[in-house]
Amino acid sequence: MKLLIVEDEADLARDIVEYLSNEKYVCEIAGTFEQALDKIVTYSYDCVLLDLMLPGGNGMTLLEELKKQDRQDGVIIISARNSIDDKVTGLKIGADDYLSKPFHLSELAARVHSVIRRKQFHSNNVIHSGELKIDFLAKTVSVNDHPVPLTKKELDLLLFFIGNKNRVISRSALAEHLSGDIADMLDNHDFVYAHIKNLKKKLHDAGCDAYLKTVYGTGYKWEMP
Amino acid sequence: MGNAMKKLLNRTIWPFALYSLIVLAVSVPVYFFIVEQIWEDELDEHHWITKNKVEQELNTEYENPAEIPVMLEQFNRLNLGSTIRAMGSGEHPGDSVYSHYRFDPYYNEVERFRVLSAQIKIHNEPYRLIIETNIEESEETVLAIATVAISFFLILLLGFFWLNRNLSRKIWKPFYSTLDKLKTFDLSGEKGIVTEQTDVLEFEELNKALHVLIEKNVSVFRQQKEFTENASHELQTPLAILKSKVDLLLQDETLTQEQSEKIEALNAPLSRVSRINKNLLILARIENQKFADHTEDLDIGALVNESLEFIADQVAGRHITISKEISTEVTVHANRSLLETVILNLLLNAIRHNVEKGVLHISLTDKKLVVSNSGTASLNTDSLFQRFASTSRVSPGSGLGLALVHEICRRYGWKVAYRFEKDMHIFAVQF
Repeated sequence: MKLLIVEDEADLARDIVEYLSNEKYVCEIAGTFEQALDKIVTYSYDCVLLDLMLPGGNGMTLLEELKKQDRQDGVIIISARNSIDDKVTGLKIGADDYLSKPFHLSELAARVHSVIRRKQFHSNNVIHSGELKIDFLAKTVSVNDHPVPLTKKELDLLLFFIGNKNRVISRSALAEHLSGDIADMLDNHDFVYAHIKNLKKKLHDAGCDAYLKTVYGTGYKWEMP
Repeated sequence: MGNAMKKLLNRTIWPFALYSLIVLAVSVPVYFFIVEQIWEDELDEHHWITKNKVEQELNTEYENPAEIPVMLEQFNRLNLGSTIRAMGSGEHPGDSVYSHYRFDPYYNEVERFRVLSAQIKIHNEPYRLIIETNIEESEETVLAIATVAISFFLILLLGFFWLNRNLSRKIWKPFYSTLDKLKTFDLSGEKGIVTEQTDVLEFEELNKALHVLIEKNVSVFRQQKEFTENASHELQTPLAILKSKVDLLLQDETLTQEQSEKIEALNAPLSRVSRINKNLLILARIENQKFADHTEDLDIGALVNESLEFIADQVAGRHITISKEISTEVTVHANRSLLETVILNLLLNAIRHNVEKGVLHISLTDKKLVVSNSGTASLNTDSLFQRFASTSRVSPGSGLGLALVHEICRRYGWKVAYRFEKDMHIFAVQF
């Protein structure tokens, strides 16, 4: 999988690369509008992370360029502008997702995972991960072909973990993921613990291996070879 | 204030009226003395001429001194207003001029007379000639003058009022026009005011001064709004880097338990700063009117239910009992995310400032959303909706939630109110 990170803040771009890079993802960085345009025109990517305010131009133009060429690259806008206009315009032009800064790297990874998955499985929207099988259309999970009844939030968490394999995820990141835009309005993140406990128990009862580990009581990790 | 306030012109008219009254009142005795003086001078002059004529005529017409007593008797009997008699022995020979009152049989009342009592010589014999002429009584003169004065005063007064009304309409027109413009002036509109052309120096100066003042204000206001928005933007990137660094740090497999707890502890303040920053940005954007687009008809009840789902975890965590009374199909035309912000902030507040095992009641009827929750003491109603005024030490929010609610409501002309009643915090939004 090839990712392009179009981000002028070098520090942030490096962090993203460090977090996302694994045996599956190969990341490239473009720090300016020109660099990004060069790369987009020359190569194709599975997912492009696109900052809007770039030296030399607006990221929205790059998005238009991609769509003009009828390209299938997934695009996630990562913007500090957090403007509803940008979000609406971006999604209308053809971005697959919009993530406003600041964000947790785990959130970004989950979104990238989700965009790539959607691009890859057009109709047959099922992924396998070990003995787990997740059917996205039916929104069902089964372990060794035995269905596991998960709540919406538990399923949400499971996908989040699968998108962040072998990474430690903080409880705050999970809280923010579960409660979306309002996460930072919440004072209490204890609810995350309850959902995780339930998810763990259901998977365990269904005979799934204990992939989900608690790390020092502050974070979680989906350990899967 | 209030009733005691007078229009400027009405304020000046009374001193003017009083001044004219005083002037006219003083003029009455002055006129009186002048008229009297003229009367007396004229009559005295006439009397002296008459005296000279009488003296000369008597000496030339009656050459025989023996005829004189007979003639004088006839003259006096005719009663022409003058009498001539022989000078008494020891009588002071001097002339005198005076006025006096006496009954007059012809007028049949007491009249005032101007008198010249002079000595004349007929064939070298001294006689006293007394000439009397009726003169207007003083009180009649005073009365006449006073009547005229009062009439003029009334004419002046009427004139003042009439001029006043016309002046206030004409001369003050540019002033009132400017005043109206100022009353409707909205700083957030970022437009100056257009004042009427005027040839009155003071108004022109006032208008000029106002233009300068308003332009300065508009520019400061714009800068301040842009500053907030720009500052918030600038903060987003360093915040993003901080957040990603924290996430990366957690990946370090050599971390001890203690270190990893400290790192995780960074997330809470980081999240709070992000929230404050995000809210500041939204506030600035509302002020900069950047939410004008993307409005739609929204079902408030549906949004409330959605929001309740969002916060279900929070409610469960605090063991809060929710009751709701939502009438269907209450719609409002607005921006979805702004309306959601209002609802979410009110609901989250109601949870945050609730008591353990408290209640949260939501009612939506007739375009009015009421969110009430258990509480212990009233919030400070004066500063409640101000930025950073409601932050409490117990459960720190962003300090901007209610300011945001207030600003959004103001933007759409909704009315948001708070009251504390029977141990319940009650927030009501009238759409």
